[in-house]
Amino acid sequence: MSNIIEIKNVTKEFKVLNRREGLKGSLKDLFSRDYKTVRAVDNISMTIVQGEIVGYLGPNGAGKSTTIKMMTGVLEPTSGQITVNGNLPYKDRTRNAQEIGVVFGQRSQLWWALPLIESFKLLKDIYQIPDEEYSSMIKLYKSLVDIEPLLHKPVRQMSLGQRTLSDILAAFLHNPKIVFLDEPTIGLDVSMKSKIRTLIHALNKEKNTTVILTTHDMGDVDALCQRIVIIDKGKMLYDNDIEHLKGFFGSYRTLKIRPDGDIKVHSAALENELDGLSVSVTSDDEWVSILVNEDKTKVMDVLNVIQRSRAIRDMKLEEISTEEVIRKIYEEGVK
Amino acid sequence: MNLKKYFALTRAGILESFQFRLAMLVMVAGNLLYLIVVYFLWKAIYASSGTDVVNGMTFSDTLIYLVLATALFNFMEMYTVWEIGRNIQSGKIVLDLLKPMPLRSFLFWSYSGTFVTQFFATFLPTFIIVCIVTGGAVPLGINLLYFVISVIMAVIINYSIDFMTGTICIYTESIWGINIMKQVIVLLLSGATIPIAFFPEPLKKAVSYMPFQSIYNTPLSLLLDGSPKAETVLSALGVQAFWCIVLLILSNLFWKISLRKITVNGG
Repeated sequence: MSNIIEIKNVTKEFKVLNRREGLKGSLKDLFSRDYKTVRAVDNISMTIVQGEIVGYLGPNGAGKSTTIKMMTGVLEPTSGQITVNGNLPYKDRTRNAQEIGVVFGQRSQLWWALPLIESFKLLKDIYQIPDEEYSSMIKLYKSLVDIEPLLHKPVRQMSLGQRTLSDILAAFLHNPKIVFLDEPTIGLDVSMKSKIRTLIHALNKEKNTTVILTTHDMGDVDALCQRIVIIDKGKMLYDNDIEHLKGFFGSYRTLKIRPDGDIKVHSAALENELDGLSVSVTSDDEWVSILVNEDKTKVMDVLNVIQRSRAIRDMKLEEISTEEVIRKIYEEGVK
Repeated sequence: MNLKKYFALTRAGILESFQFRLAMLVMVAGNLLYLIVVYFLWKAIYASSGTDVVNGMTFSDTLIYLVLATALFNFMEMYTVWEIGRNIQSGKIVLDLLKPMPLRSFLFWSYSGTFVTQFFATFLPTFIIVCIVTGGAVPLGINLLYFVISVIMAVIINYSIDFMTGTICIYTESIWGINIMKQVIVLLLSGATIPIAFFPEPLKKAVSYMPFQSIYNTPLSLLLDGSPKAETVLSALGVQAFWCIVLLILSNLFWKISLRKITVNGG
């Protein structure tokens, strides 16, 4: 087991022009030298081992993408040192690029107008993938997902899910040592999400590829990551395995139900009825929320109790979100 | 150097341009329309001048020159500046930067497929038509070889200027005005819209110290010169080679320095 990525005390600052309001302000801005320094990433250190899947979490604007751009060599750190696969990514961006793959959920590296297979052939030549390796990779892909119908479809005609799937396959094609996945499941439906999770998991197992995954979806994290790194406002908040993090979000799920009749009354009644099941009941104008710890109580049991004495008009089951986890970490401190 | 990965990009470019059949047709039609305008404009200029020869060029000389300049423009214009500008604004530049080859090469070779299709779709037909219509006014000899060498260097010079202009976008984050300015300057000072023979003396002298005329004027002069003298050819190609090297170095340097400033939008 060797360290594939080493980040030591890395800080990245951007200079941003202080913009003023209104037309007059914009005119003044044309000649302004009034910059402020924004620290996007603040003194971060971590090491990542070959073959790990690391979940890199944080709210929007926390500095996740900036860190990834430094690891890939697009941005130069203001201070500190990053080595990826023995290279300094900023200095050897082109060489580093040969050993990494990237997927940015919102953008595609595929050739828009061409069928997927042409993009694959092109990547084969650009990355100089040997013939045998290429065909064994395609064979592996065929065994994992049903790509046959996608291969001859122009990328621009694909659905978002198909395109993301194709982008992930393209990123793994040259068998890179590290793949960076930046919000790969954003905007996808449940079945596509699970397809993509299965695919990432299988490729990581098969090729021992290191995967750095940023996401806002705790489902992704739960399904894929052994290790979680959380940053907020540029600072590292948490770096440990997922079991440890479960202390914060545990196997908690929120069951929300909307019964017929007055919500307040039902809520009070439910508190009594569910007393023995160690759940906590709260309510607002629309929903009765029941926080269930699935380690102790089954959601089905809770539902059974509820349904015994009333009709449920509407219900939903919510995962705890990264934002809630971060809030809990702030509140309770890292144990 | 392994050229295969570059030619793979050329191939993709050709495939891509075939995907947009209608765009190609429109291209050819627009080209034709422009040529008709040029024809009547210069016909009027010659009619009002009262003589058959203006600045040492007859009407048919001028027309041949301008028609071929247009054909050359259609084939050489790379729209690199738009591409870089758009990619910086949208943040797609990240993906381009993460290809295992320098961005400069990646963009050039991605576009090179269009060279090939444009060459066959616009330049070659125009050239053949001009040859036939003018009945041998375009000499077909050793000058064709000089022309080819000259065009290759012209492409490099043009691309370097484009690449430098695109780099400015890292600072401005907007490209429209800069690109329009660049296009006007290049098209005028290179002799693509008006033959350099028509320029007033001081401007002609000033232009001779600039790289722009190496893009259109030099290759076209070499093409249209039926009995080239060795020294004319050598000095013309020499000047081009000089600008090639200078601009390659300058544009690379400018890009390297600017890349440190890059802040990529999005996410």
